[in-house]
Amino acid sequence: MVIAVLSLVGFFIAFYLLAHTLGWTGPLVCGVGECSTVQSSRYAWVGPVPVSGIGLVGYLVLLGLSVLGIQPAWRSSGGVGVLLLGASTVGLAYSAYLTYLEAAVIRAWCQWCVMSAILATLIFLASLPEVGRMRRRSP
Amino acid sequence: MTSRGQQRRKARETGGTDMKKFYWVFGAVAVIGVVAVGYSVGSSTLGTAVTEPVNVEGLDDLERLVSLAQGVTKGDPNAPITIAEFADYQCPGCGAFALSVKPQVELAYVQSGKAKFIFYDFPLRGHPHAFLAARAARCAGDQDRFWEYQDALFRNQPSWSARTEVVGDFIDYAEATGLERESFEACLKSDRHADVVTANLELGNQLGISATPTIMVSKGGGMARRLNYFDFQSVQQAVDALLESSGSTGN
Repeated sequence: MVIAVLSLVGFFIAFYLLAHTLGWTGPLVCGVGECSTVQSSRYAWVGPVPVSGIGLVGYLVLLGLSVLGIQPAWRSSGGVGVLLLGASTVGLAYSAYLTYLEAAVIRAWCQWCVMSAILATLIFLASLPEVGRMRRRSP
Repeated sequence: MTSRGQQRRKARETGGTDMKKFYWVFGAVAVIGVVAVGYSVGSSTLGTAVTEPVNVEGLDDLERLVSLAQGVTKGDPNAPITIAEFADYQCPGCGAFALSVKPQVELAYVQSGKAKFIFYDFPLRGHPHAFLAARAARCAGDQDRFWEYQDALFRNQPSWSARTEVVGDFIDYAEATGLERESFEACLKSDRHADVVTANLELGNQLGISATPTIMVSKGGGMARRLNYFDFQSVQQAVDALLESSGSTGN
């Protein structure tokens, strides 16, 4: 449940950044850091795909899995939990890489990216109990 | 058995309460998110206005960069001395220079034909409206009101600089400066002049400029001297020294 709520918050952050990239909004609201520096850097894109778009898809996957996992029909199934743990680990690793880029390469911080990194960490931590459940399930 | 049954029933009831709480929290986050993002997108008056540097091919080639970068000149283009300024419309120091030092420079050297003044855009990364302001001034230049509009931007800098949305302010200044509103607005809400502003920014980067305003003074095709300070005395000393070397002073 916690993962679903955190993923929804992450989805809106990613959507806001994507909307900015696509020119649907004005300058980013950025009380802390230099969001425009980060967003206009070449690291804001992976080829033709904006990083915010990747984040949007990532949070949607986490949201979908977490909502699925709390449905009575799927609650006892281990598969969804494993997928959720895998997705949150990938999300955490990618967020760590982006945070490294901000700190060491771009040398500027974007408050929305930092918030997203914090969310990815919390989602990963919230999915850790799955490891215990997997151990209990294994013979 | 009874005890187990009670436990199951209790677990079901607790689970149901948890799910209810979850749906409430989830719904509240969803509503807040939709309203916040919707407001951000819906309230933007920018349309398709370009507010950041754009990709311009060939800027890494110095010859092409110099041909693409274009300053705006005031005064006699053939004047012996060139006073060049790299400035950001959102930087308070640039505002102070434009409003108190530049008029003195114009009076002493530009109006008499001893020097020409060239303005180059240098919108700094940390200033979210600086690039749009640079484009706005150039849109005003399309209607031959660049300098008047630039004065309006600098004069009103404390007002618009702190806002989230500045398109309305920029259009108001255009009308106050006597510009034709519709064509100015069409220019502002497009990518017009984004390439030139980007090229000017890159030229400044290539020259090693890191702060604004940066004032450079040169004579003919000679080496430009970068001033450490941007007060009138510094400009005066530099220009007079160059004029004396060619036989005429500003006084």
